[in-house]
Amino acid sequence: MRYLILNNILLSSTPPRRRGLGGSKKVTYTNPPGPLFRKGGNFLLLISILIVTSCSNPYKNLTTTEYSINEIHQIPYALPFSEKALIYKANINFFNNDISGLLILKKTDESNYRIALTTQFGLKIFDFELNHGILNVKYCVEYLNKKVIINTFQNDFNLLLMQNHINNIFVIENPEQDQKIWQLKSGKLTYNYIQETESEKIANISFKKRNSDKISVGLYNYKGNIPENITLEHHNIKLKMNLKLIQ
Amino acid sequence: MNRIYKMDCHPEFIEGWQIRFGKKNNHIYASHEKSSTKLNMTAIFFIIFSLFGLNNIHAQENGFTQVKDLTKAKTELSKLADNTSTIQSKFIQEKHLSFLTENIISKGEFYFKSPNQLRWEYSEPFEYIIVFNDKNILIKDEDKISTFDTESNKMFSEISNMMIGTIQGNIFTDSDRFAVKYFENNSQYLLELDPKLPEMKNMLKIIKIYIDKSDISVAKIKMIESSDDYTSIDFINRKLNQPIDNEIFNIK
Repeated sequence: MRYLILNNILLSSTPPRRRGLGGSKKVTYTNPPGPLFRKGGNFLLLISILIVTSCSNPYKNLTTTEYSINEIHQIPYALPFSEKALIYKANINFFNNDISGLLILKKTDESNYRIALTTQFGLKIFDFELNHGILNVKYCVEYLNKKVIINTFQNDFNLLLMQNHINNIFVIENPEQDQKIWQLKSGKLTYNYIQETESEKIANISFKKRNSDKISVGLYNYKGNIPENITLEHHNIKLKMNLKLIQ
Repeated sequence: MNRIYKMDCHPEFIEGWQIRFGKKNNHIYASHEKSSTKLNMTAIFFIIFSLFGLNNIHAQENGFTQVKDLTKAKTELSKLADNTSTIQSKFIQEKHLSFLTENIISKGEFYFKSPNQLRWEYSEPFEYIIVFNDKNILIKDEDKISTFDTESNKMFSEISNMMIGTIQGNIFTDSDRFAVKYFENNSQYLLELDPKLPEMKNMLKIIKIYIDKSDISVAKIKMIESSDDYTSIDFINRKLNQPIDNEIFNIK
C-alpha cells in the first residue's frame, strides 16, 4: 500500500492529496516491501526528500492571497464572536482517563472569554479567563492546576476561539478539495482554519509548529453558525476532547 | 535533558491516578499509574446528601434562627435514616455561575434502597446515570457503560463506608470533617456544614442542608463554592418506603 502511495507521488506532478486533518504526515517505513527499495540507500533518500519537500507545503501550487490581520473577522467562524453563552457536554480523555461534564464558553468582552468546566453534579473543575490569548486561572481543581496542563488548555482554547497572536493571514484557494484555507501565521507557528466551499463553514482547524501537526480540531453538524460537535485532538500527547452542544 | 513533570490526580468518580510527563530528545512522553490514596470529596458529598429522606416543601432562605434546643434537634435528626428503607424522588439541579445571566438547569430522578443501593440519574440536559449496588459501581454516559469495583478500589470502598455511616445517622456528629451550625424556622431545620479539611475547603465554602421537620427529610441542598458560585438541588415528588425493583440498580 505504501509502495503504491509512494509511486503515485513520484509519478504525479501534482502535490499529494492532503490526508485527514493534518495533511503533512511524515511516512516512515521499516521493512521495504518491494524490490524498488532494495536498489540502495540513494533511491530511498530520494523518495524521502521528495516526500518531505512535497509534504512540507501541501498548498504550494495553489492561489494564495495575503490579507491584513484586521480582516480576521472575515473568517466565517462564529465561535469566537458569539455573544451568547455556549454550553457543551464535554468528554475529555486524558491519558486514558475520562473527565466528563459541562463546558461553558462565554464572550465577556472583546478578546475576553470565560471558560468553565463543571461536573454533572455542578461543582467546578476549572474556571478560566482567556484575555488576549493569555489564560488566567480563576479556579482550578488541584489535580489539574499544573503549569504544563494550564499551558495545554491555553493552546487549545486559543485555537478554538481564534485568539492566537498572529503576524499574517493568507487565504489559499484549494478547488480540488473544495476548500478555502485561512492560514494564520506567527513565525514557525501555523493555524489553519479550513473552510468547506459548499457549506461555507469552517470544518477543520489545525495547529502546526514547523510543519508538524500538534493539534487537530474537527467541527461538525452546524446548527446555524455554531458547530454542534467538536473534536479536539493532540498529536504529541494523549489528550482528546469531545464536545456536544447543549445550548 | 530529561525533565519529569509529576502531577497527582483524582478525577470525578473514576479512580486515583498519577501522571508523569517527561521530555526526552524533544519528545514528550507520559505514563500514568494508579494511586488510590486520594478521595474525591465531591463524590462522597454527593453520596451523603442523596441518602437523606427528601421532601417537596420549598426551603425558605429567610426567617431561620439559631436552634434553641440543640439536644432535641440532634435527637430528631438522628431519626433521619432509621425509618427509611427506600426513597424515590425527582430533582432539579441549578448551577449558578457569576458570569452567566441564567442558571444551568439539570433534571433527573434518584432511587435509594437500604442498605447500599443507589441510582442517581440525569435525564436533562443529557442522560447520565451512576449506580451504586453493593460492591459495584456503574456509570452510564450516553451509550458507554463503565464498571468499578469497591473492593479493588480504595476510593469506592471509602464511599461505601460513608454510605453505611450515613445510614446509621452519624454524619452531623462527624466533627473531624465539619463544623455544623443548626438553624430552624417553623417548618424546617437548616444545617450549615463548614468543611474542615483543606482539600474540601478549597472546593466548597459552605454546604446548606434544608430538612423538613414533619418527617425529618431533606428538601434542598445548596453547595456554595469559595467564589460564591453555587449548586442547589431541590427534591420534588418524593416517595418514601415504596417498593423498588432491584433491576433499577442495574444498568444494561
